[in-house]
Amino acid sequence: MRTRVLSFLNQWRGTAKEAFENVSIVAKFLCLLHVTDRYIISSTHVQGPSMLPTLNLTGDVILAEHLSHRFGKIGLGDVVLVRSPRDPNRMVTKRVLGLEGDRLTFSADPLVGDSSVSVVIPKGHVWIQGDNLYASTDSRHFGPIPYSLIEGKALLRVWPPEYFGSLR
Amino acid sequence: MSTRVLSFLNQWRGTAKEAFENVSTVAKFLCLLHVTDRYIISSTHVQGPSMLPTLNLTGDVILAEHLSHRFGKIGLGDVVLVRSPRDPKRMVTKRILGLEGDRLTFSADPLVGDSSVSVVIPKGHVWIQGDNLYASTDSRHFGPIPYSLIEGKALLRVWPPEYFGSLR
Repeated sequence: MRTRVLSFLNQWRGTAKEAFENVSIVAKFLCLLHVTDRYIISSTHVQGPSMLPTLNLTGDVILAEHLSHRFGKIGLGDVVLVRSPRDPNRMVTKRVLGLEGDRLTFSADPLVGDSSVSVVIPKGHVWIQGDNLYASTDSRHFGPIPYSLIEGKALLRVWPPEYFGSLR
Repeated sequence: MSTRVLSFLNQWRGTAKEAFENVSTVAKFLCLLHVTDRYIISSTHVQGPSMLPTLNLTGDVILAEHLSHRFGKIGLGDVVLVRSPRDPKRMVTKRILGLEGDRLTFSADPLVGDSSVSVVIPKGHVWIQGDNLYASTDSRHFGPIPYSLIEGKALLRVWPPEYFGSLR
């Protein structure tokens, strides 16, 4: 009786060891995938009207790299992925139109008259704006955002295939 | 002659394989360390006068956890590690004194008179303030900060040993 229980446990131990090794291979792969996706390069599905005509309304898949912002290499005109200052769970895609220290003059409401507002971007902040001025909530509404909210820079669009290539 | 070269290469291949396995073991360990340090719990050295008397001037080591802010469980009175909105490379330690939607009244300059300012904290933002009002640059100077700048919540102090324990 005891030898049968022992031999059963031995069999089970072999299977458990194999299962553990398989799980750890999968875990290491996921870890590598996560590190690559977060710190090097990732693909993101972006949608919405705020970056027309650069990005489509119905949604594009873009490749974004996550190295430039860590080395301070985000410049004017870059399309960046940014964590929304109004909703910490949302990412938005906008263009950088001002760096710290710049003075910006913009029209408070492009649909109404010519009233313009002038701001100086404080230290450690950037000014983001959607290409579609009429349908974009951006720094004209919530002010300059801290540089740390930038999480990636768009490289090129990979889907839909007829729009494959850089964003201009 | 060629057999000697071949046997030398074979020896080298064995060593190279062993070296590669050792390097990948170290790499996996560093990956695990990094994931724990960034997403679960880490120890941080903090110093400066802005959180006296809660934290010492000359520097403390505190344990901070990085789970609460991802689940939205940061509340009033929590001591948090925050990425500075003025300098993206700097982390600061402050206390949360207001959440989104709160109306705050504070003294613009505690050394001069009684002038007070009243603000409403916008959506997605929090109000941080150092415990030492006279020597702290915080939301009274740069306004409410986006919630996403919070990177961790302080748990307890582990150094110096005579101050071991929770932060009160």
